[in-house]
Amino acid sequence: MSEPTTTAPLEPEMLTTDPAISQRIADPELAERWRAYDWQLIPSTPLPPNMNLALDEVLTSRVGRGERPPTLRFWGWASPAVILGRFQSVRNEVNEETAAAHGIQIVRRISGGGAMLAEPEGAITYSIYAPEALIKGLSFAESYAFFDAWVIQALRRLGLEAWYAPLNDITASGGKIGGAAQARRWNAVLHHVTMAYQMNGELLSQVLRIGKEKLSDKGITSAAKRVGPLRQQTDLPRQAIIDHLTDVFRDEHGLTDGALLPEEIAEAEQLIKTRFGTKEWVYFLP
Amino acid sequence: MQGQYKTPGGKLVAVDFEVVDGQLRNVTVHGDFFLYPDDAFAALSGALEGAPAGLGEAALAERVRAAIPAGAELVGTSPEAIAIAVNRGLAGAKGIRA
Repeated sequence: MSEPTTTAPLEPEMLTTDPAISQRIADPELAERWRAYDWQLIPSTPLPPNMNLALDEVLTSRVGRGERPPTLRFWGWASPAVILGRFQSVRNEVNEETAAAHGIQIVRRISGGGAMLAEPEGAITYSIYAPEALIKGLSFAESYAFFDAWVIQALRRLGLEAWYAPLNDITASGGKIGGAAQARRWNAVLHHVTMAYQMNGELLSQVLRIGKEKLSDKGITSAAKRVGPLRQQTDLPRQAIIDHLTDVFRDEHGLTDGALLPEEIAEAEQLIKTRFGTKEWVYFLP
Repeated sequence: MQGQYKTPGGKLVAVDFEVVDGQLRNVTVHGDFFLYPDDAFAALSGALEGAPAGLGEAALAERVRAAIPAGAELVGTSPEAIAIAVNRGLAGAKGIRA
């Protein structure tokens, strides 16, 4: 499972750089699994960073309990944030003073993976909330690629030479686009992805601490250099890309328009008070 | 002290610790790896707490492996990667390049 640094073209039927994973997720039986559900769309509205994180927990648990249909939600960002992975240390990943000086809030999500810097117009983030049955029998690496296969198709339809680089990277010939993370609980899977739309490389390098070891297998010396934001690779407005992604999901898997329910928002607000907004949670690993 | 190791094509793991009387103390494992379920997390640092600093990579890895609860799965890193991170931390503290 090596990450390519070259632009070697893949066979069109190969969605990932790993032939075995590509072959596994091409199984028509897997495509039928998506179609077994009535997928619901929650469109993007700007929300505070902690509300986005709390909603991920609320909606995952509700899908797991069968209280909400499997759902695709696009995030909106009301303010900038650094979102830490579940097992990352704050001081190891973030320059707290610089973040504070730029009004960037530090928050922690329920999934593992790496820190990301999200600015309101800078990122496109979505969450998929699915019953565990959707990925039954798949390895972790297979499930990541399976969850995002529709996005690779969507990016290819925009003319990008895009592919999945296991474990969890969405990438293209113009650079890395985004990364995925999963949390699994309540018999449900949360699979969420952040893609760079436009990037302030200087701010990124000031706020996030990305050491040499992290880049040791990438053949590069700067994290900003390996990213190819979507605006640069497509020249499309952010909303146009979100609309296109939504259309492709609808075509591939089916999708009904929906919305957040007032009780879901209320439950998330409560979780911000008891967990996501607390120092104990954010500084779980100082 | 801290040691880090990035699994090629995988994720980064870092281990922060001190050595007191020849044993690893105040151990914190962290990084951008995945662990399912996430409540198995405390077992990673717990496995290394009190381990003799002279223990080799294989024995350190075995301690971590044995501490991971049945059914839990580390994704993107491994007990071996965690052991390498510890040894790099020890070597770095002695001014040796691991």
